[in-house]
Amino acid sequence: MYVYLYDNFLKQKKYASTLKIIETRLTDFGIAGKIIRLQSLSDAKELVEDEIKKGVSGIVIVGNDKTFGQVLSRAATCETLFGFLPIGQGNRIAEILGIPIGEEACATLSRRRKLRLDLGWFNGRYFVSQLHIMPSEIAVEYDERFKVTAKSKMELVVCNLQPFEWEGNGKKYVVRPQDGKLEAFLRPVLGRSWFKERFEDPSIFPFQEMTVSAKKPFVVEADGRQSKETKIKIKLSKKRVEMIVGKERMF
Amino acid sequence: MMFQKTPRPAMPQEEYPTPGVSPDEVETVVGPSVRVEGDFASEGNIIVKGIVSGSVKTSKLLTVEKGASIFANVRAGNAAISGSIRGNVKVSDRLDLAETAQVAGDIDCRVLSVAPGALVQGRVTMKGIEIAGDKKDEKKIGSFMSKIKSHSEDEVDNTVASGL
Repeated sequence: MYVYLYDNFLKQKKYASTLKIIETRLTDFGIAGKIIRLQSLSDAKELVEDEIKKGVSGIVIVGNDKTFGQVLSRAATCETLFGFLPIGQGNRIAEILGIPIGEEACATLSRRRKLRLDLGWFNGRYFVSQLHIMPSEIAVEYDERFKVTAKSKMELVVCNLQPFEWEGNGKKYVVRPQDGKLEAFLRPVLGRSWFKERFEDPSIFPFQEMTVSAKKPFVVEADGRQSKETKIKIKLSKKRVEMIVGKERMF
Repeated sequence: MMFQKTPRPAMPQEEYPTPGVSPDEVETVVGPSVRVEGDFASEGNIIVKGIVSGSVKTSKLLTVEKGASIFANVRAGNAAISGSIRGNVKVSDRLDLAETAQVAGDIDCRVLSVAPGALVQGRVTMKGIEIAGDKKDEKKIGSFMSKIKSHSEDEVDNTVASGL
């Protein structure tokens, strides 16, 4: 039996009909299960561990990127199968995993196409798609071997599954991350135009372990969750989590 | 109808950084205003557009672009240099020096291509040379080379003439 972890935002009236359709589809597929509503202070790891003890066959996260991040950042250490039913806005991770948004995701879930995914890890948290450090005066040390600095502020994006995209010289570029590695994209700030900062083309470093440090706290965003840090260690956690994915996944 | 919006054409999307390289094969790229210090090693291709000091090592292609500088000993499978290197360069296969290249250090490679205008200051060693022959010849060449080094530039011409 699956356990469904519903995000708190799904209480809103506008999602009632979608949820009703999804629940009917899940019953049709014979994979309906217990529903737990997540609160902002819920400890996802504790919840998941409790359900594993009760003999659950899988945990399905229902919500958006933030919900996904909230659950997996802590519960990725739990040995169980994870699924995802994306609903509403802010669902980039679902696209990467090849899971359609809304009721169509029920069919993907019922097919049980399982894959072990690499996760990124930093300061005791896991991330699935990307880690983003806003432009700051940071120094980056890779695999304790070499150090990268720039004269100006730098933006850092570490990609696990989500491709890195940027625009420059009137073109849009994309880099698809490799499996078994994390890729860091460093973009020094060249200056400011009217509304936004202008960046240099990115420097790219594949790595296993990286330390980012700064004198002043910098903002880190991972899977839609933000925090302020002065030093972070980023690592790759290989084949950390078993997940149900779609055929149209991006990796 | 007069103010009807026309859809903007989609921005062309390209794979980065170089055409011909598999999009899944992400390379290591050191940007123009980035400085790398330490033992810089990669399993894939490396493109240097900025400054690297310490050491550089890759089993694949190293590209040093115009304006880039490396202050380090370099080891690579293949290398294409348009920038400057202060240090020894050891390439297991082919080394291409473009017209803007500057190398201050010894070069060791199998195939060397030097464009007119490239500057090299150092000893060049290439594997597979057959004319060196036996040890006696090697000794002769060795003593001849040391003579050249010990003489001033004006004397070199005379030494070469007498040596030949």
